[in-house]
Amino acid sequence: MQKLGKQTIKFDNPPKIIETASIVGPKEAQGPLAKYFDTLLQDEFWGEETWEKAESKIIKQTVDLVISKAGLAPSDLDFCFAGDLLNQCISSSFGLRELGIPFFGIFGACSTFVEGMILSSILADAGAAKNVLFAASSHFCSAEKQFRFPLELGNQRPPSSQWTVTGSGASIISSSGVGPSVDCVTARQNC
Amino acid sequence: MDKIETNQQYQKYVDKKTPNSPILKNCFNAFWVGGLICSIGQIISDFCKFRGFNEETSGSIVAIILIGISAFLTGLNLFNRIGKFAGAGSIVPITGFSNSIVSPAMEYKSEGYIMGVGSKMFTVAGPVLVYGISASILVGIVYLIFNTQSITLV
Repeated sequence: MQKLGKQTIKFDNPPKIIETASIVGPKEAQGPLAKYFDTLLQDEFWGEETWEKAESKIIKQTVDLVISKAGLAPSDLDFCFAGDLLNQCISSSFGLRELGIPFFGIFGACSTFVEGMILSSILADAGAAKNVLFAASSHFCSAEKQFRFPLELGNQRPPSSQWTVTGSGASIISSSGVGPSVDCVTARQNC
Repeated sequence: MDKIETNQQYQKYVDKKTPNSPILKNCFNAFWVGGLICSIGQIISDFCKFRGFNEETSGSIVAIILIGISAFLTGLNLFNRIGKFAGAGSIVPITGFSNSIVSPAMEYKSEGYIMGVGSKMFTVAGPVLVYGISASILVGIVYLIFNTQSITLV
């Protein structure tokens, strides 16, 4: 592993992305990318009492799915990086606590998933880990509650307003295996 | 297409591509829905006066009924649809004030009645209350000073 230029890391033994999984909510299920997701939810609550619990369930199920798709057991994973948009990364830490994998909570909003990928790749390339899990999640309703207005508030959204995804993505980076390899990573400076 | 090199050029490009809000349509909807809400208020007020209430009591009854109706519609998940359609038309009358208190109360109910509903109920309406009441006190003081003077002058 060596540093190139100001903000790029080049790996000596490029780690592989061996498996991915994703679960998304009802609005994403209606979109043009629907056929690429593993599970489509019909309900924002997914049988839970609150949106935060639903988000926690979404990330837990996504992680379970990626582990089973890769044919691994949770004990095969050395570390995990995960994050979401809520205070204390609560949905990730609660969703992943039963797996018993050493856990790093990360917060990068939109960039959380790629941050997890960069850090996982560094661990895998450095030989500190064989398999590293990384995941990110968000939930439209819990994000609106955390950052914006209550859903029942009668305000108008401009046509260009963005919509936080309800869903979660998880992936496993491995120092060996078959899959796309991560050769270099470039972190952007914060502006 | 010019090359985008600076932040200002990028901002210009984004502004050009971003769809604008349909202002004319929004204004029209806000006008007639707001007008309708006010007309309903006026009808209730006139009815109260017809039944023998005085001006002040009739005003209070109108406020109570409109607040009650919009709180109920918020609970039924209907008020946000009206608000999305009418914008300021339903936010500016007292109905919007009611909605801005009921909606956080519903949203934060999952966090309990004290730390959730109780403490978060005024997250939207709070600033309006704080500065509205502060401003009215200031205006009251100004009024008191100048009004007393004008009385003494006379």
